[in-house]
Amino acid sequence: MDGEPPRAASFAAVQRGVCIVGVGLSDGPVTPELDAVMLEAQSFRRALDDAGLEKGDIQGLASAGYGGMHEVALAEYLGLTPRWLESSSVGGSSFEFHAMHAYRAIQNGDVDTVAIVYGNNQLSASGRTLGTGGGGGGRGMSLPLPMSYEFPTGLTLVGAYAMAAQRHMHEFGTKPEQLASIAVQTREHAARNPRAMYRDPITVDDVMTSRLVADPLHKLDCCVISDGGCCLVLTTEERARDLAHRPVYVRGAAGGTTHHSIAAMADMTRTAAAVSGPKAFAEAGITPADVDMFAMYDSFTYTVLVVLEDLGFAPKGEGGAFVTDNGGNLRLSGALPTNTDGGGLSCTHPGMRGLFLLCEATRQLRGEAGDSQVAGAEIAVAHGSGGWLSTQGTVVLGTEGA
Amino acid sequence: MDGGNDWSDIPKWLMPRPGLVDREFWEGAGRGELRIQHCTTCGKHQHYPRTLCSHCGEQTLEWVTAGGDGTVYSFTVIRQNGVPPFNERLPFVVATVDLDEPGARMIAAMPQVDPADARVGMRVRAAFRRAGDEYGFVDFAAAD
Repeated sequence: MDGEPPRAASFAAVQRGVCIVGVGLSDGPVTPELDAVMLEAQSFRRALDDAGLEKGDIQGLASAGYGGMHEVALAEYLGLTPRWLESSSVGGSSFEFHAMHAYRAIQNGDVDTVAIVYGNNQLSASGRTLGTGGGGGGRGMSLPLPMSYEFPTGLTLVGAYAMAAQRHMHEFGTKPEQLASIAVQTREHAARNPRAMYRDPITVDDVMTSRLVADPLHKLDCCVISDGGCCLVLTTEERARDLAHRPVYVRGAAGGTTHHSIAAMADMTRTAAAVSGPKAFAEAGITPADVDMFAMYDSFTYTVLVVLEDLGFAPKGEGGAFVTDNGGNLRLSGALPTNTDGGGLSCTHPGMRGLFLLCEATRQLRGEAGDSQVAGAEIAVAHGSGGWLSTQGTVVLGTEGA
Repeated sequence: MDGGNDWSDIPKWLMPRPGLVDREFWEGAGRGELRIQHCTTCGKHQHYPRTLCSHCGEQTLEWVTAGGDGTVYSFTVIRQNGVPPFNERLPFVVATVDLDEPGARMIAAMPQVDPADARVGMRVRAAFRRAGDEYGFVDFAAAD
């Protein structure tokens, strides 16, 4: 048979527009009085209030990070009986995958209104040394493949990213000072955000003289460990028109993976964002030059640099120059204002940050970002990176006119 | 040198626990042999051991003994690790090593390499470290 099968044609004809209509941030970044599910419940309630919805409107629920059936337990806690559930658990980018799957499900009519929820009191519960307590598993734990090969080497989570950064430096001459500049520019945004964990301005020299955790990454190349919760509510374009805020449209989404453990990353200078980005951008009908702000999972400075290249904001190998050019392209005055809330590097990182990226991008497109507002922002990209640069998820958001 | 504190004392919880597929690797390392899988269909090698070839997907794997030589694809110097015994070994080098056998890549500690001497592209050679009576870990050291 020539051409598209008939089913695909009729399928496309019923696709509905999908909008983010509610965002909720919990208290933070330090909340010793709140446990993880309390943070989730608080951000959920705030997202409902933000949207002007009641919990009975929520038909679908997504969450991740706490093992099997967490979203089911959370539904019970919140008093929900959802008929659409999602628990893709692919590390910090899980929530870009949740948004992508919710987008498709709403688009195709499976469900109308979905909440994505995450919260973690990682700082208050576990302290500040996570990420350097070993590459995976722990004392006495049975290690799943491939961690039974990695863990006995003494590699840490930070070390895995450091190894990738080292390879980029080797291949392209990327300088630690260029990585440091990412932390410096992100801190400038944090200085404008009362909710950020660290707000005092820092210099490249401050980053370079901060303690090396795993060469070439210094302490200030690493994200903070905080408490915090976040919730996002998505619904149909039709419903969104009646709700409280200017709807933010999902325009495209894609994800992928290249490996689990860092040793299996065939090319440590190229992530699955090189596939997910172009796919999501094509669906949205945009190019990198159209993007007004970027919410990027900055687990480490290198994560930002490599994904800037993979998404096409800079040619491969030139991410270092891109971040420092033009007086700093990640600044509000730069070509691509990035992590305008202060990012994981300075604002909030409670175990996983993916959902907070979508929240900040939404705030920007609504024009609600306060002192960090990107003037006239119409198109934003939220991009999550999970595991050891393992999983990448890209979500393109736009205003109604964009 | 900075690195290379005592890596011979391996606590029980860190001992290899071979599964159904990878006993050959751990026992080989205990004998001082780097045992990897070779695919007779595509000709490539792989580590860690699996039941099918991660390159071509076929189940035509045989065990071979690698020469033990390789090249550092990348490395890091671990300067913070809170888990004993690693916290007593700081700082130390961990590398991703491409074996000379095409397709096989390993992550390994390099306890004998001074952090200041580690380089991407350096030639390295497998060094075996006993883990109990039966098994071993495969480290790498600078090739001469």
